[in-house]
Amino acid sequence: MDNEQTWVAQAQRGDDQAFTQLVEAYQKPVYNLCYRMLGEPEAAEDAAQETFLRAFQRLSRYDAKRPFATWLLSIAAHYCIDRLRRRRFSTFSIDEQDDDSPAFEIPDADAPNPERESVRREQQEKIHGLLASLDATDRAAIVMRYWHDASEAEIAESLGLTVSAVKSRLHRARLALGKRWDESPMHPRPQRRPHESPAF
Amino acid sequence: MNHRPFEDWLLDEQPLTPEQTRELQIHLQDCAHCAALDEVNLELRSVKMAAPAAGFAARFQKRLAGQRLHERRNRLVGVLILAAGGAGLLGWSAAPYVIQFLASPAVWIAAAVNFLLTLLLMARAIGELGSILARVLPGFIPPFGWLALASALSGVVLLWVVSIWRFTRFSRGV
Repeated sequence: MDNEQTWVAQAQRGDDQAFTQLVEAYQKPVYNLCYRMLGEPEAAEDAAQETFLRAFQRLSRYDAKRPFATWLLSIAAHYCIDRLRRRRFSTFSIDEQDDDSPAFEIPDADAPNPERESVRREQQEKIHGLLASLDATDRAAIVMRYWHDASEAEIAESLGLTVSAVKSRLHRARLALGKRWDESPMHPRPQRRPHESPAF
Repeated sequence: MNHRPFEDWLLDEQPLTPEQTRELQIHLQDCAHCAALDEVNLELRSVKMAAPAAGFAARFQKRLAGQRLHERRNRLVGVLILAAGGAGLLGWSAAPYVIQFLASPAVWIAAAVNFLLTLLLMARAIGELGSILARVLPGFIPPFGWLALASALSGVVLLWVVSIWRFTRFSRGV
């Protein structure tokens, strides 16, 4: 990422255009993290904008030895965690969101049939509901792992945790997600009676 | 049902051998708990990345400009409050003299001359005291004492320079 380092260096010298290039390059991962964390497009947009504003203000303190993406996602994750903690007791419905809003989702090039699309939507809503049930830090770890392919070390660096703590959090979060997935009414699992053959 | 070691394989994303994969698939057919873990894993991996609405960077530029304007406004308000406060304090402390001056210029001029004369006499006395000390002190203070004194003075000057630099330095950006 030579371009990235050049843009960062130019932005550190006060070049607004270079920083805009960084915004263009990283808007999607930052927005996605905020969206998966907060569950609402408006809140995610605001959080993503705030993330870039904070990054701009702290750019002089950025250590070029760290990957820029990790640094940026770290700011976004901490901001979203703080925001979730502030509104912990307020009403929050992550699964009411229409995940496939054309203004905020990438159009599906595969264009599946309506029935399959409907199932996919239901499942995505369920994923949002599942994420919303997790603790803010666990949710950040899961989002970084599954959507950003971050390693446990990168997640640890971003969230200010140890690698073993990240492993433990991911383990716990996956277990909780699996239990909720199994218990969810949107996901009926045929219950086999004892001693019944799988063929029936 | 015993979920070990299948649950750990799924929860910790452990790399599996073909034989372990086959054993896991057999277990998943009978175990709803582990099947749910596997399904969630697959679902999470299949969800696409969300993208912001078009024009995100332009909206950021606008927000940045707004933030800069807000900061400039705050700075201006701060300077105005400081200036107004300083002017008020100055006016409050100078009010008795102004009133006195307006009431009787002759008294004020006499007081001012008296004050200036006092200042001159004090400066002269301080100068004489300084010359006496300059003659007497070198005999009493050892070279180490002079060194300590010079170091302390340098420290104070350095602190003063750093403070001025820190307070006058403009932060970049917003």
